[in-house]
Amino acid sequence: MVSSKLAIALADEEDKLLACVHCGLCLEACPTYLHTGDENDSPRGRIYLMRAVEEGRLNPESNSFGAHINRCLGCRACEQACPAGVEYGQLLEAARSDLTKTERQRRGWTSRLIRFVLKHIWLHPARLRFAFTTTRVMRNIRLPKLLIRSKLARLISPRLEFALALLDSSRGDERRRDESVARPVSDSADSRALLFKGCVTEGLFARVNRACVRVLEANGCSVSSPKDQVCCGALHAHAGDLEGARTLARRNIDAFNDEAQAGIVTNAGGCGAMLLSYAHLLSDDAGYAERAREFAKRVRDISQQLAATGILEGASVSESVTTYDASCHLLYGQRASEAPLEMLGAIPDLKFVPLVGSEVCCGGAGVYNLLEPELSRRVLDEKLAHIKETGAQVLTTGNPGCHMQIGAGARLKGMEGVRVCHPVELLDESYERAGFYKSRSQESEARSQKG
Amino acid sequence: MDKLVENLRAVLGRTAVLSEPDELIVYECDGLPQHKHRPRAVVFPNSTDEVAEVLRTLAREGVTFSPRGAGTGLSGGALAVNQGVVIELARMRRLIKIDAENRFAVVETGMVNAKLSKAAAPFGLHYVPDPSSQMSCTIGGNLAENSGGIHCLKYGMTVDHVLAARVVLAGGEIVELGSDAGSTPGYDLLGVFVGSEGTFGIATEATLKLVPLPSAVRTLLAIFSDVDDASRAVSAIIAAGLVPAALEMMDGAIIRAVEASVFAAGIPLDAEAALLVELDGLEAGLDDEAERASSICREHGAQSVRCASDDEERKRLWAARKGAFGAMGRISPDTMLQDAVVPRSRLPEILAATYRIGSKYGLRVANVFHAGDGNLHPFLCFDARHPDEVLRVKEAGRELMETCVRAGGSITGEHGVGLDKSDYLPLIFSEDDMDAMLRVRAAFDPTGLCNPGKIIPTPRTCSEGSAVTRRRDAETQACGETESPGAHASLRASLREQAQSVRAHALNAGEPPALPALTPSHSFNAEEAQRLLAQIVGDENIYASLHACVSASLAVAPASAEEACEVLRLASSQGWKVVPAGGETWLDAGNPLGRADVVVSTRRLNRIIEHEPADLVARTESGVTLSALNNELARARQWLPVDPPDQGSASVGGVVATGMSGAQVLGYGSPRSYVIGMRVALADGRTIKAGGRVVKNVAGYDLCKLFTGSYGTLCLILELNFKLRPLPLYTTTVAACAPLDSLLRAARAILDARLLPVAVELLSSRAASRIGVSNAETHPILLVRFAGTHGTVTFQTEETVRLFHNEDAKLTSYASDDDESYWQKLSALPLQNENQLVWRANVLPSELQAFLNHAMNDDCANLHSSSSLWHAGVGDGRLRVISSSMDDAARAVASLESLRARARASAGSLVIESAPTSIKSAIDSWGMTGRTVPLMRRVKNQLDPANAFSPGRF
Repeated sequence: MVSSKLAIALADEEDKLLACVHCGLCLEACPTYLHTGDENDSPRGRIYLMRAVEEGRLNPESNSFGAHINRCLGCRACEQACPAGVEYGQLLEAARSDLTKTERQRRGWTSRLIRFVLKHIWLHPARLRFAFTTTRVMRNIRLPKLLIRSKLARLISPRLEFALALLDSSRGDERRRDESVARPVSDSADSRALLFKGCVTEGLFARVNRACVRVLEANGCSVSSPKDQVCCGALHAHAGDLEGARTLARRNIDAFNDEAQAGIVTNAGGCGAMLLSYAHLLSDDAGYAERAREFAKRVRDISQQLAATGILEGASVSESVTTYDASCHLLYGQRASEAPLEMLGAIPDLKFVPLVGSEVCCGGAGVYNLLEPELSRRVLDEKLAHIKETGAQVLTTGNPGCHMQIGAGARLKGMEGVRVCHPVELLDESYERAGFYKSRSQESEARSQKG
Repeated sequence: MDKLVENLRAVLGRTAVLSEPDELIVYECDGLPQHKHRPRAVVFPNSTDEVAEVLRTLAREGVTFSPRGAGTGLSGGALAVNQGVVIELARMRRLIKIDAENRFAVVETGMVNAKLSKAAAPFGLHYVPDPSSQMSCTIGGNLAENSGGIHCLKYGMTVDHVLAARVVLAGGEIVELGSDAGSTPGYDLLGVFVGSEGTFGIATEATLKLVPLPSAVRTLLAIFSDVDDASRAVSAIIAAGLVPAALEMMDGAIIRAVEASVFAAGIPLDAEAALLVELDGLEAGLDDEAERASSICREHGAQSVRCASDDEERKRLWAARKGAFGAMGRISPDTMLQDAVVPRSRLPEILAATYRIGSKYGLRVANVFHAGDGNLHPFLCFDARHPDEVLRVKEAGRELMETCVRAGGSITGEHGVGLDKSDYLPLIFSEDDMDAMLRVRAAFDPTGLCNPGKIIPTPRTCSEGSAVTRRRDAETQACGETESPGAHASLRASLREQAQSVRAHALNAGEPPALPALTPSHSFNAEEAQRLLAQIVGDENIYASLHACVSASLAVAPASAEEACEVLRLASSQGWKVVPAGGETWLDAGNPLGRADVVVSTRRLNRIIEHEPADLVARTESGVTLSALNNELARARQWLPVDPPDQGSASVGGVVATGMSGAQVLGYGSPRSYVIGMRVALADGRTIKAGGRVVKNVAGYDLCKLFTGSYGTLCLILELNFKLRPLPLYTTTVAACAPLDSLLRAARAILDARLLPVAVELLSSRAASRIGVSNAETHPILLVRFAGTHGTVTFQTEETVRLFHNEDAKLTSYASDDDESYWQKLSALPLQNENQLVWRANVLPSELQAFLNHAMNDDCANLHSSSSLWHAGVGDGRLRVISSSMDDAARAVASLESLRARARASAGSLVIESAPTSIKSAIDSWGMTGRTVPLMRRVKNQLDPANAFSPGRF
């Protein structure tokens, strides 16, 4: 059937392509279809295009195939709507993998730049650390803010302006000093977890990782974080670089090797969903297939870990109206729908208002916002309008990409008053107020006394 | 580049036209990917005007087009054959308004079905039709296919929930069908448009009924270890007089597929069948009904019956049912989903036949279906990569269809005919039947550009052209002979040629002229006619017509359908004008007839042909009186729930021909909802069939809708198939006497109180005393009727009394049996005097009070007077006024004109039901407006080209 040599990755997924019976229940779950009304921009349509490529009826180099596959946000909301259980996310990655092999896709400077960065920086932990440090320094001296305020950024390019807004929105709440540690709950912890830090989270949101550790420890869980862990590979997989993703996956599987099979806890929906998909990604790798399956079974979001062990209630934190936007990969990839809300539920007296369309993508989707700015903006505008309706001053979300996307949108739309944060950050504040923590200085005092 | 694409881009903008071949691939199929036709272009209009402009552009170029919504259809209906253009309405998804008081919504037709119910929920309302694809499918697609869904068992199909539609016809003309107020004079063009599968035009906006969310629901899940037991339980539930909101069945294969999907609902995996029974209504008494349904299931071998404990569980169960189609992707690479309907009582044997046919062709079969309607959906599993399996699937599919048709069923219950089933259409319709359908199609779309190749099988597509050609003949000759499709052999050359010729006609065809007014000065020789007629029906069955206002000299009463057709053939050959008659109640309805030679009475066609209680269906000749039919049906505790004006002599044919309903329309709907099939004779004496014998049926155009309410101007009705209802176990009527304002206030409260009255009728004090409701004062009376089980009726009666607490009203309650006579007398009220003026207005319910006040102040209507005779339906905005003294015709006409203008201002209409000739000759009885009038004339011209039936009535 496969007439095109390029359709190799898709041919491997033939069963998944055939599982789609074309019923169309996915259409309304798809943010891009909702905005264009064009079936080429719907899950069913894209699967149909993939099938046409796989059957040799459509040239993968064609304009329309590339454009419509690239226009997918990859949010996987369609999987939740699909009665046939089509694993769309995996089909998308296969299609993008086929696409990267085409000439057309290799042209274009954004695409080239991204491929360069993913290959020559992201795959090298030292280089990546350096890149994030530089970025952080720029952010912390308020360079992005300055460039946005002075309108210089927009003058150069609206895309640059948005990129800077993304970066600027990753700054934390400066009123908080992030120096406490959890008081030991008891001598022996009930459970153990290995924290997956994530490159973007550790690079720009290290405070979220620290909050996770404290909150877990406060709940009687001892936490360690393997040193050799690397990026999860999600950016590579979504961009069609399946080989790059596999390289990273193998390293992580090695890094998280654990006799006792302790849970692997993530706090970024994008990373969590990617770690789960290692089982599929490495299914043809004789040396890693079995280990990848075992690895995937251990992966859970911080909210799922807490829901399983029970969440300690903290103290009330603020009067602000708070809402929650579900990260697509957390919701559809990791299937964490209620658990994140339970984290917020552990904060007494929180004024929580549900967000209409919380289950719909925000338009961030990795670097989609920079690659498909027009469609991304339309999706984001709708999200911002719904946030405005809630009247929330605090928006929580469980993925750095969504955090920055909504934060950037809020900045550029004059909604600076809205604070964006991870739900675990709020819970962390709540625990701090409840006196579950002590400062680092107290901690070192205690240590020296012991010594 | 393609010039056409450039033109379309000029109309819609660059981003609203797809024309790259690669981007058109996904539009080559819909929800049934077995059929593939790649369009020439896809356009995304954003407004009705843009649609009209696109259709004008396409008409200029002679390019065919097909409308498309979400492409979830299952018959290939949205595919553009022969390189047509797809008109995609996905961007027209705005909610225009929700009118909570009058309970309707106006939407653009690209709106997704489920979104409407979501938008209406804050008002406590919802849109009832809920096809399984409701999360994605559009209202426009629902209209085109006349979609059903799980709740259509109790609440009816899409056609029962559409009040009006804005439609763009091929060529760009915009027409408004129906009205927000729900009742329009003239042919039911909206009724026949719904279900026309995009071949009549493109609906761009629709007004849809919203219904209060049921105040209580019970959803039962019954598990069976045998499919046969489950299907017998279905018949038993229906036969027991229960009317579930939904009654669905899944077999073992489906259960296991669904339980493996995201829609798993916890149905045991070892079950061989599961029944989902949903009962809704008022809390009071609902548990009893649920208990009855459970025990019937248990009696029929159910292993377990459980009731969904909360709304969450209920939603999960329904999601499982609705996800079944998609879940089949887990079982098999390809599936052929069939759609067939059989009489409910035949379900067990047909179900067994599906598995037998499956094993005969070596194919796996799974069944999930709307059991309560007898609407089967067998899945045939296959793998399209094996050509041999594809062949077997086709053969098995055909054998299945033939089996269902032999059992008295239909080839499609809700998916439509489209491309997929047009080959099966001849299984249930004759050449003549299909020819009549094509004529109606040609009336809507004389150009032949609108979604060609659908419904009517392709070899006959040439007669799409001939129907158009005949239409032209009819225009030029007024009295054209009808020709058989075969006469146009030259047109059979090729589809392409046909398209060209149709196009040529389209370019020449303007509006048809008004029908020529014929004068009685012609060659009707009564003596000669009597002699010829006597040869057919015998002398004793010819008599002089009694009706003064019908100038006909002769009336004949044929003894059989064959004799009736013989009479019509004779009339046609002699050029006589024919007036069909039943109980002769409405012989003078409408405008005075231009000419009438022979009245053909159906009074001797008085056989009830068949009544199958387990199917809730009856078949009868048209001359049977409504009361005789209901007396017969009552023996099985069933009835035909309509209450048109009737003194006991109204025939069912007449009831259907007028389409009139009465006070209980609020609870039961009008006759159009109950007619499921017809056999009628056309003017040339050919008999055709419309609809069928099953309660759910979307095969071909629903000409029943067109004939219902056509007042004997299109055909002579010979036979009727009705769907029925169980007789209510108990009824009560509460009568309240108080000042008008007070009664209207209370009526509003009752309607808003989530009760389920079958009638909320306001009567003038004289009308009340005429029907025997004691009324000492001069105040009007409000009658509120409830029907159902003793428990629900008693509860509602008490609630009603409570709602009157704040009003200073005098209340009387009448219980079962006693109350029936009042309602019968009310339906006889408009028929009691000769030479009276009776008119009826329909307005939006919220405007009724204002309209009443206006009519009060009208010196001619004079509703203030204690002697005035009127009654009004508060829930449906209907007012009928009966005046006896008519001294000054000119004054009456002026007054009627002004009242009609007032009714129109409230989205309504005013119809003169009967009046002395002096008035009728001075004012149009119907008051039809707008662009539907020429469309109606085109329909009349197509079906009765010689204008032989009741000329001049409309």
